[in-house]
Formats: sequence, C-alpha cells, structure tokens
Amino acid sequence: MRFAMRHWISAAAFVLLAAIAALGPGPLGLKEGIVAPPYSKPNWLDRSTAPSVELHVSSSGDAEETIFWDYSPPLRVSFTGVLDEDGLIRWTRPGGGFILSRTPGEVDLDARDIPFKRALDISPFENMPSVIFPERGEYALSLDGSGDVRMRIEGGRWGILGTDHRGRDIAALFVQGLRVSLIVGVAATLIATLLGMSFGLLSGYAGGFTDAFIMRAADVLLSIPTLPILMVLAGIWGKGLWNLVMILSIFSWMGTARTVRAMTLSLRGASWVEGLRAIGAGRNYILCRHLVPETLPLLLANVALGVPGAILAEAGLSFLGLSDPRLPSWGRMLHDAHTFGAFTSGAWWSILPAGAGISMICLIFLDIGRKLEEMADPRLAAETRHKVIEEAEA
Amino acid sequence: MRERSDRDVIAVERMSVTYMSGGKAVHAVKNCSFCVPKGEIVGLVGESGSGKSSALMAIPGLPPSGTLTSGEIYCRGVNLAILTEDDLSAWRWRRIAIVPQGAMNSFTPHLTIERHITEVLSHHLKIPKKTGRERAAELLSAAGLDSRVMTRYPHELSGGQKQRAALALALACEPDFLLADEPTTALDVITQKEVLETIVSIVRERGMGLLLVTHDLPLAAGMCDTLIVMKDGEIAESGPARQVSKDPRHPYTRLLIRAIREMDVAR
Amino acid sequence: MTAALKRLGGSLIVLAVVLALNFFLFRVMPGDPLTSIVDPRFSPEAKAQLASQWGLDKPLSEQFVVYIREMLSFRFGLSMMTGAPVWDELKKRVPNTVALLLPALVLSASLGLWLGVKAALNRGSAIERVVLLTGAVSFSFPSFFVQILLLMCFAYFWRLFPLSGTTSIPPPSGGMAVLDYIWHLALPLCSLVIMGFGGFALYIRNMMVKALGEDYVLMARARGLPFRRVVWNHAFRSILPPVLTILLLSLPGVVSGAVVTETVFSMNGVGRFLLEATNSHDYPAAGAAFFSLALLTVGCNLLADAVYILVDPRVRREGSRE
Repeated sequence: MRFAMRHWISAAAFVLLAAIAALGPGPLGLKEGIVAPPYSKPNWLDRSTAPSVELHVSSSGDAEETIFWDYSPPLRVSFTGVLDEDGLIRWTRPGGGFILSRTPGEVDLDARDIPFKRALDISPFENMPSVIFPERGEYALSLDGSGDVRMRIEGGRWGILGTDHRGRDIAALFVQGLRVSLIVGVAATLIATLLGMSFGLLSGYAGGFTDAFIMRAADVLLSIPTLPILMVLAGIWGKGLWNLVMILSIFSWMGTARTVRAMTLSLRGASWVEGLRAIGAGRNYILCRHLVPETLPLLLANVALGVPGAILAEAGLSFLGLSDPRLPSWGRMLHDAHTFGAFTSGAWWSILPAGAGISMICLIFLDIGRKLEEMADPRLAAETRHKVIEEAEA
Repeated sequence: MRERSDRDVIAVERMSVTYMSGGKAVHAVKNCSFCVPKGEIVGLVGESGSGKSSALMAIPGLPPSGTLTSGEIYCRGVNLAILTEDDLSAWRWRRIAIVPQGAMNSFTPHLTIERHITEVLSHHLKIPKKTGRERAAELLSAAGLDSRVMTRYPHELSGGQKQRAALALALACEPDFLLADEPTTALDVITQKEVLETIVSIVRERGMGLLLVTHDLPLAAGMCDTLIVMKDGEIAESGPARQVSKDPRHPYTRLLIRAIREMDVAR
Repeated sequence: MTAALKRLGGSLIVLAVVLALNFFLFRVMPGDPLTSIVDPRFSPEAKAQLASQWGLDKPLSEQFVVYIREMLSFRFGLSMMTGAPVWDELKKRVPNTVALLLPALVLSASLGLWLGVKAALNRGSAIERVVLLTGAVSFSFPSFFVQILLLMCFAYFWRLFPLSGTTSIPPPSGGMAVLDYIWHLALPLCSLVIMGFGGFALYIRNMMVKALGEDYVLMARARGLPFRRVVWNHAFRSILPPVLTILLLSLPGVVSGAVVTETVFSMNGVGRFLLEATNSHDYPAAGAAFFSLALLTVGCNLLADAVYILVDPRVRREGSRE
C-alpha cells in the first residue's frame, strides 16, 4: 500500500483539527463574546492602525503598565474597575502626564463621556483618544494607592483573524464553527451510514416485497430536491444542532443502502456463503458474523466520503439562516457576513476563514475517504474516479 | 525472402515492440523479420503471450498503448514505421485491413453494421451513402450474411455473425492485405471452421495477402502457405507450412506439435 | 416499453409523495400560521374570518382535497403574507430562475464537456490538472462561499457588477433593460458555471479515458478514420448516454442551488421565494415554491430516461433480438 505525502498531510491535518475542535476556543487563549469594535482588522494586516489592548493595574499586581504607541489614535478608550479612598490613576504621556481620576468607588469612564472630558478640562468637541495618545512614544498607566483598574484601548484590529459584525473574535468563532461542522458532519454521516447499512442488508438479504419497498423509498427520496426539503424540515423541526443532524441523516442514507444491497446480493450468491448455508448456518448468523464484517471496511470509507456532503449541507442551511443563531458555525459566519454587509465594509477577513475552513475540511475527508476506499477494495477503487485522479497526480 | 521494394508484399524487418516494466525494457516482440506476399496466406503461430498479436497490430502502427516500436515495416516500398498518424490513415484499411480478435468488441456499439461499412467507404473511397449501402449489402452477402443484418446494432448479432460482419467490413475498401488476429477464438468449433473457410476462400479468390495469427498450429498448417512460429517475442522457426509441420527443426515447434498430438490421442 | 412505463409510474409516485409531504409538513409547522402573521389583538371573529378565508377551519381531509385541487390546477391559493394569489408572484419569479439556471447549465456542461474530452486526450497535461483541480473544488467548496468571494472582488473592490438585485432600481427602459438584466445576471451565472463545470469535466474525463481504451476505438483508428471522427463519433458518442444521464440528474442539485445563489445575489427567483416563505410560515407560498422545484426535478428525471432511451440503441432495441 502506497501512502503519498498528501495522505500523511491529510491525516495530520485531520488530527490537528480534531484536537483544536476538542479543546475549544478557551484553552487556545481565544476569548468568546464581544472583544473589539465590529469588523476590526486582523493584527498583522495593518500595522499603522491602533491595536486593541487592555492595560491592567492593581494594588495587588503591577502598579504601572507601560505601552509603546506607534499608531494613529484608537477608536475608543475606556476605564473600568474600583478605586479606593487613597487611590489615584495617572496617565503619563511623552509630553507630560495628567491624573485621570481620583474619585473613589467604582470606575466606569469612557473617553466619549462629556463629564469625563470636563473633569480633565478638555473641550467637549475634542476627540479624547487623540488627547490620550497624541503622538508616537512611551505611555504609562499607573495606580497610586490601592485599587484595581483596567484600561481598555479599542483600536481597529484584533487577534490573528480580526472581528465580525458584532465585534466577536473570528478566531474563536472559527474554532467553535469547526466543532459544529465536525459534530454535524460526522454524526449525520454515521447515522446515515448505519441507516443505510441496515436498510441495505435488510433489502439485499430479505428480498421480495421488503426489498422493493425499501429501494422504491430510496428512489423517491433521491428524486426530491434536497435543499428545499431540508429547508422546510429545518423550519418545522426547529433549528437545533441535533435536529439538523437528524434531518441530514434522513436524507443521506440512500446511497449507502444501494451499495450495501448490491454487495449483499453479490455476497449472498458467493460460494463461501452457500457453503456456510450448507453446513447449517442460520440467516442471522451469516448476516451478523460474515456479511456485516465483510461490508464494514467499505462502510468506513463511505463515512469519510459522506462527511463533506453533510458538512456542505449544514453550511448551506446555516448560510440560509436555518440554523440556531446562538450556535456559531461556519455557515452562520458566512450568513452573518453576507447579511450584515461584510463586503460593504470591505471586511474580507470575516468571510475567508469560514469558507476556507469548510473547503479544507471537505478536501481532507475526501482524500482520507478515497484512500480508505482503495484500501478496503482495491478493485473497486480502480473503477472509480479516485484512482484515475491518483494516476494523474503520480 | 522477397525484396522490400516489392510492390506486392508487406516486409517486416527487425521489428521490436518494447514496453517498460519495473524500470526495465521488456520486448513483446524482439527483432522479428518476416514478409506477407500478396496472394499468399502466412500463419503466425505461438502460445498466448508470445507477442504475435502485438506484432500484427504494430504493422499498421497500432501497437498496444505504452509500447515503443522499432524496425522497419515496408508496404509497397514505403516504410510505414516512420509515417505519422495522419499519413498512416491513408494506408489503414485502404491497403491493410484488420479482422480483429473474435473476443474483441470491435464494433462501436451505437452504430449499425451498415453505418460502419458506409463510414469507411465514404472516407476512403468517397462513395456516397446510397451507393455505399448497396456495396455494404454485397460485402455482407460475400461474407455469408443476410442483408437484414445491415440495420442491426453490434449487440444484436451473435458471435459468428459479428465475426462475418467484421470480415465484410475489412473487405470494404478492397485492401491488398488482411491481418487476421485470432479471428475465430471466441466461436464454437463449427462456426470457427465456417468463418475461417469464408475468410480463406475470399482471400484466395481476390488474391489478397493474409497474415493469420493463431495459436492453433494444425489449423494454420492446413490453411497457410507459410508458417512462422513465435516464442517469447522471437521467431523460432519459419518456412513453408508443410515443411514446418511435418519436419519441425526448432525444438519448440516440435514441442508444440507433440503437445497437440497428445491432446488428440487423449481425446 | 415496460421500462418506460415503470419509470413514469415511479415519477408519479415521487410527485404523490412530494404533494403529501408538502401538505402535511407545512401543516404541522410549529406555531399556528394565524398567530404568526395575524396581529394577536384581532378579535376572535376576525381571526375566524381569516381562518375561513384560507380554509383552515375545515377538517384536515377536506383541506387536503382542496389543496390537491389547487396544486394540480397550478392556482396554489393565496399568500398569507400578501393575500395575493401565489401563482401571480410565482409567475413573475419563474422566468428569472430559468434565465439563471438554463444558461448556467448549458455553459457549464459545454465547458465541462470540452475540457473533459481535452483532458482525456492529453493525459498529464495542464488541462488535465485543471480538470482534476476544478473537479475537487466543485465537490468540496460551498457554492455560496465562492459566490460571496466573487461578489466581494467584482462588485465591491472592482465595481464592475452590481452588488445585488435582478434589475437596477428604477429599471431602465427599452434595449437598456435587457443589458441591465444581463449585467445583473452575469456574476451569479459565472459563479454557477465555475462551480458546475468542474464536476462535469471530471466525469467526462473519466468516462472518456475509459472509452478511449476500448477495443472499438482502437479499431476505428485501424480503419484509418480521421482523429476527430474517432474521438467524437466513436469514443464520445458512445459515452453520450451516461453523460446525458449525469447532466440531467444533476438538475435537481442545480435547482437546489438556485435557493443559495438567489439569496447571495438577492435575486427575485423561486428559490429565494421559498426561503422567504419558509421563514415567514407562509405555507401556501412555500408549498407552491417547493412543489414547483420538485416538479422541475421529476420532469428532469423523466427527460433523462427518455433521452437515455433515445441515444442508447442497446436500451432502445431491447427485445428486438429474438
């Protein structure tokens, strides 16, 4: 068995993605929820735009935090926390500093607030972030006395992938979407394959009316345009994750059932099965001990090859808005990007990761499935398109 | 041996058909020279895999895919081996026609037998469709077929009918040479004999040259003027049919003949 | 003949199932349609009047009979959102969908056909690589992603095409109206062709590679026929039945794709009509849209069988051998 470099890459990528999906955004240092202004650019994209950072000073931790500012002024600056009786927050600029607040109690100041500007003796018409960050240089936030204050500077960029229309970290959404895609894709295909296998075995082994009925049902299901019926069902059954899995699996067992039926028919006539029957093996025994294991390797390949279809279907439904809006999935991300004007904002970074994620994971599953199929049945693989593709690539 | 410049002969000189297997060059046909004169029947005999089919198909420039042909193939004084595919198409069927292996599905499935014949007639001889249809009927009846077969599709014919139709098709452009590659293998014994007799009588009657590739040595010995025995891509022995079959000089030929006699005894 | 009848019967069963599904699925949708679209402050009398207007007060069996009659006569009842006959709205939208899907199918099929044959003839060439790549792309890239990318590149960054819609607002008159329509159609059409031709090309390449290895193609060459004739009249013509089948069986998928495409480009077609109707629980409208799409699919399946029988003599003359 020849494993091309590509297969190793696919397998490694699959393991990596599964690990990322299992960990989730938290352990990877990604924050869920709103973190920065809407459609912030990724950090690496535009070095001159202000980044989004948070400075934290407290009497129990660092009393002073410095930051080197090399950008245009940020969009928003705000302060939150607590200040004790003796507390005082000081802001040091290259041209000299000033005291931001010495009012004890809860701190909740925003650079857009008029009272805050008044207190600092700044004209209400002036843009306060540019007073706080007037030029390039070293700045420091310091706390005298006791308290715990966070300074949030919101610039036009965030993280490695930027933010979406609500200011959520796209990297975090990407990881959550990966999880949803994998769960839906794999679960729906597994259920569909199990359904397909049972119906296929039943159909092939029982024959007669059962066979005709099941195959007729498969034909009917195959002739109904898939997306519209999925839309209707999602509208009726609700948009939850597991509803989606159920809907997808009900409409994707037919192919497997046909394959398994054909295999069962050819195996039923095979001489070794005849032999088993001759020595008195019962139908259930032959079915469970021989036919199922015989069809199993191919089914594994079938699962891998079926996952892309399920993932694409889930993404399509989510894109049409027919998924749980609270569940961040890749299709949902594209739906949001499309609905909330990502491209009229030029925010291509909110589109690319989700789309690339879907395509990548589908390619990986196709590649793995192709290889599994070839391993399960080299003769069959030689007849399918996959083999031809490999020849050309070799 | 006739001259290569002779108009009425296919002269094959030092022909090799080579393919690559596991990085090594393997010869399906190795340095073979023979000739097929017009008006004679030459039998090319050998066990399966001896390279006789490859040798036959290499003559009109159609060796198995993935192989290289070297050597010279003269027909009417022209070396076919150096002609391009375009130039070769004037030789194919017009001068050298093939009666394919019986087991081959040599007819395009969606064309009627008539369409096959009129197609070559209109391409090579510029015969219009209507006249072509009459010619087709004549050809089919010469090959021993009812003209009703004309409108049939290949899958609607029996094996023997198909083989006769293939013969009619091969005769369509009145070629100088026929190359018959195991023309009767897939048929039952009686049909085999009938079809072969038809081929031989037509060839004799029209004075064509026939290269008959077969694994059946006694059959070839009974029909051919000259016999060539091939083994592992090389010519083991060649000469007048009577001489080769009665007094084989090469041990392999002797082996072949003895094997067949033993089989006859066993029967 | 019996085979043809059998297929026809099968198609009728599919239609019957679709009709039944259509009726029952929409009627078990969560949320009484009346409560979702009618102001809750309406008096019970007004509600009852509305219910009787849509026939919701009658027993289910009676509703079913009415429904079947409406469907088969293409009247489809009244929309719950607008109160207007559904057919009036659908009538306006069907041509838009057909104007999108038909050229898309023709273009992607011809491009796929040409590239597929080229690739099969030139194994290992750049064209073959393109075919293999686009084939893989068409099986793994979501169409709406590609469409959004196209929209962003060609309608936002380079403002060559409109961002959305079927016509400009207000629509221009005369010959400009046609140009305007085509201008709006160009990008969606391109996206469908880009996503569509790769799959066709890959299928055709694979079947063509197999066909070119057949004995009869070798023999057609041996007959000294010109190369083009061998390729097209012998090799390609022999794979025409399965090619046509794949082409026509892919139509349901193409029709499904109309929903997505029309949504991305905000076009006035049946697909988006279905989406809007589903989202607003307007079940006469959604049912009508679903039924038209299903009808299109079943029609295509039947057409596929008919064409198959026409182009494949082995099926056409079944039984004439005796």
